[in-house]
Amino acid sequence: MIYNRNVFMDQESKWIMAIKEDELPEGEKTALLLEGNKVLLLKKEGVFFAMSNKCPHMECPLSKGTLEQYLIVCPCHDWKFDIRNGEFLNAKEIKVPVYQTKVEDGNVFVNMGGAGE
Amino acid sequence: MKKVVMYTLSTCPWCMRAKKFFREHDIPFEYIDYDKADGDTKKAIREDCLAHGSEMSFPFVKVNDDVVVGYNPDKYAKLLGL
Amino acid sequence: MDMEKRKEKLRTMFSKVIEPMGYKFSPDTELVDFLLEQEVNIEKEKGNPFCPCQGLTGEREHDMKLVCPCIPFHREHYDAMKRCWCGMYVHKDVDDPDSLMQISLQEFLESKK
Repeated sequence: MIYNRNVFMDQESKWIMAIKEDELPEGEKTALLLEGNKVLLLKKEGVFFAMSNKCPHMECPLSKGTLEQYLIVCPCHDWKFDIRNGEFLNAKEIKVPVYQTKVEDGNVFVNMGGAGE
Repeated sequence: MKKVVMYTLSTCPWCMRAKKFFREHDIPFEYIDYDKADGDTKKAIREDCLAHGSEMSFPFVKVNDDVVVGYNPDKYAKLLGL
Repeated sequence: MDMEKRKEKLRTMFSKVIEPMGYKFSPDTELVDFLLEQEVNIEKEKGNPFCPCQGLTGEREHDMKLVCPCIPFHREHYDAMKRCWCGMYVHKDVDDPDSLMQISLQEFLESKK
């Protein structure tokens, strides 16, 4: 269950166990610290999405925002980002780093390879 | 003499330059700082700006019935016949 | 927070936002310094570093589009001027910011017709 491989550059994989699959209900989100990186993990339509939890505008925690369909709305200034590719709705050049996810044996893993914030 | 009225912000350097232009040319003018105005005045300024197609970008300069939005010395001079 | 420190923090955060959109801080360093100081004061008073040259209405949807850098919400208009309204940011190829004029939104929209 890997979402859109094309979004991700060739990079070394570093799969980190994040949470148990059943810990995050559908449509919910949670903030995690993985390998020293603040990560936002979301579940939408049964798929897990992971991205940096820091808004690229003023570093506000996206985990405190609201999820509207596939858009996470920053709680500070309402900037909207697509959780599928990290793109800012009003200027696609601005992106939140996104990470691959996979589910194995009921555990959710996030690929933190190449994260280094 | 033409009547000059401008809406400005106390934080806006282009508003300061606009005021400086009129002072340097000895043109009397009235101004209201939108950010320092009371609620009713703010509302009136917003309506005036919207009526001229501007979503409150300052300075907003009125020379009689003509309006210049932004700092534009050439346009000010032309309207004043300088 | 200390004025100079906050100015530097805003400068660091905002440069990362404007860079991918093809903008840079204006070479008019005195103007940039003045505008950043206004933004720190506005942030202290209103909670956000709003544009020092555009009016707030108190309506969230309107005002959030004026938090600096507000380029994403006025992209076409600013691209036509090669600067943002307050002049803190200019296109990367601009060396002489004084040559850039403020063009009102109405003039810009009419020029597109």
